[in-house]
Amino acid sequence: MAEPALATDLYRLVALVRAVELRLQQHITEHGFGGFWHPGIGQEGVQVGAATALRPDDYLFYAHRGLGYAVAKGMELTAILGDLFGRVTGSTGGKGGGTAHFVDPSIGVLGQGGTLGSNFTLGAGAAISARMLGTDQVVAVFFGDGAAARGTFHEAALQASVWKLPVVWICENNGWALSAPITEQSPTENIADRAVAYGVPGVVVDGQDALAVHAATAEAIERARAGGGPTLIEAKTLRIRGHYEGDRQQYRTDLTDGVEIPRDPIDLLRRVVPADVADELDDRARAEVEEAFEATLAAPRADAGIVFEDVWA
Amino acid sequence: MSAPTRAEQDAATEVIGYAWAINHALAEEMRRDDRVWMMGQDVGRMGGVFGVTRGLLDEFGSDRVRDTTINETFIVGGAAGAAMTGTIPVVELQFADFLLIAGDEIFHKLAKWRYVHGGNLTLPVVVRLPTGVLGGAGAEHSASLEAMAMHTPGLKVALPATPSDAKGLLKAAIRDPNPVLFFEHKGLYRTKGPVPVSDEHVVPFGQAAVRRTGDALTIVATGLMVGRSLEAAERLAADGIEAEVIDPRTLVPLDMDTIVASVERTARALVVHEAVRTAGAGAEIAAQIQERAFFSLDAPVWRLGAIDTPLPQDPELEQLCIPSAAEIEAAARELVRI
Repeated sequence: MAEPALATDLYRLVALVRAVELRLQQHITEHGFGGFWHPGIGQEGVQVGAATALRPDDYLFYAHRGLGYAVAKGMELTAILGDLFGRVTGSTGGKGGGTAHFVDPSIGVLGQGGTLGSNFTLGAGAAISARMLGTDQVVAVFFGDGAAARGTFHEAALQASVWKLPVVWICENNGWALSAPITEQSPTENIADRAVAYGVPGVVVDGQDALAVHAATAEAIERARAGGGPTLIEAKTLRIRGHYEGDRQQYRTDLTDGVEIPRDPIDLLRRVVPADVADELDDRARAEVEEAFEATLAAPRADAGIVFEDVWA
Repeated sequence: MSAPTRAEQDAATEVIGYAWAINHALAEEMRRDDRVWMMGQDVGRMGGVFGVTRGLLDEFGSDRVRDTTINETFIVGGAAGAAMTGTIPVVELQFADFLLIAGDEIFHKLAKWRYVHGGNLTLPVVVRLPTGVLGGAGAEHSASLEAMAMHTPGLKVALPATPSDAKGLLKAAIRDPNPVLFFEHKGLYRTKGPVPVSDEHVVPFGQAAVRRTGDALTIVATGLMVGRSLEAAERLAADGIEAEVIDPRTLVPLDMDTIVASVERTARALVVHEAVRTAGAGAEIAAQIQERAFFSLDAPVWRLGAIDTPLPQDPELEQLCIPSAAEIEAAARELVRI
């Protein structure tokens, strides 16, 4: 039985991220969107469960599906939404749009690779830096089952294992790399099986269960912090909607209605969190999201001059 | 005997090789700043395949001089990650050609991550790239790819042609908060020249060096071609043709002011590089000359570069592909007759 306080904390964040996902879905349906949004709805259990196991000064390289990672790491909703909608209030000051490169180095949120799989080497590098500077910071690198195929994983994993770098790899296996099902991407059932090649622990966890993901990640982080090297965690989850919002998914054989979420992380947490507490957190989440949306849409877009800024330090 | 003054110390030079000048720059900067470190294949125990990093593992230890596996994406991507978290990596790819293996890490991460993240990240990385022909290294170990970097906003590009510049430009690169691709010419590693002993011998980026003055034409040359152009200029001088030879030293930033001022006096320009002629850095320089100095020109701006083929492995055939001093001389003679 998990600690009630932890479960409540995870519920608060899962509910908040869910509320953002649903609000974004609504906005895109009603008004369209300048760019592509890769919905992470249904995967909040992995993102929140894992990211909450990090310390504020630990580093995070997040993946492209959803925004649960950054919310759970402590970024303000307005900083993220500002990036999604190209507003000056965004963490990039208005350069974002659609899939965004939100960032906040003060709490270790360092970005995501626009080219999938490029987080692996960056994360290992941040881990070298932590070691060189004598800190005990750990790096979490999120990726999908699709990005797991990249050669960069091998290059980074091999070197990080040899050097015992403080890295935790968290694979959100939602079964689909855009249009390719996992059965066509992996000869083994589990991506975590690949850990054997690097002499590191490979852990499979139920990605819908935020508490289970949190526990597995916390254990891996503790090992990494103590000098025990990397861990590969594979969280089994589901892609509820398209690759991007609006994707008709004609390639899919397991198409659902995009609304129902099997083994919904919210439902699993509600088994532990008292109903009245959960209800109140739901209400608060919706109110918080509404407020952040209003503030974001009311915020100005950046001046055109921003395109010239930040090429050089 | 009295101790030397600071000015005397700063003015002191030693005659050392280009490779050793790079080694000195690395050692001095690592002594100056604990955040500076390096990694690459065989850079530690072996001291680098060209011997450039000899002795650094002994002095700085295996945390700061790291031998990697064969993993170019990691070497550059890892450097990017380490740079955005507070250290200053100076990494070596064994051959400049391998920047293509780490293409995503160089052209996307190093070049773009500060920009896409709204200036919240800083990437002070130096990628050392042994470039150019050495004699039989083959098509995938000999190319001059600096124009690709010049074509990518966000990357600074240096091509030292002398031992003194090798030291001074590398020190500037390490102190620069931006990513720098540092193209060191493999064929120049053994050339010797006077190098300031001073720890503060820093050659600023974006300042071309006028290697030779003249009034008959301006030759703009980079890397190995600087020496060949000077050789050509001496032969031309025997016939009273005085060529001005300008070495831009860095392509990003590019000191066009010095080049344009020279062309405005000489009225003729020949741009020479080892990279293939088509869409090389010379094309950009030539275009800017005609944009800025068209009415000073008495002749078209000419380019000399390698022929548009991969480089053959055979050392003699390889030399046929890149401009020789004789070809530079011949082109200059023809150009001044127009």
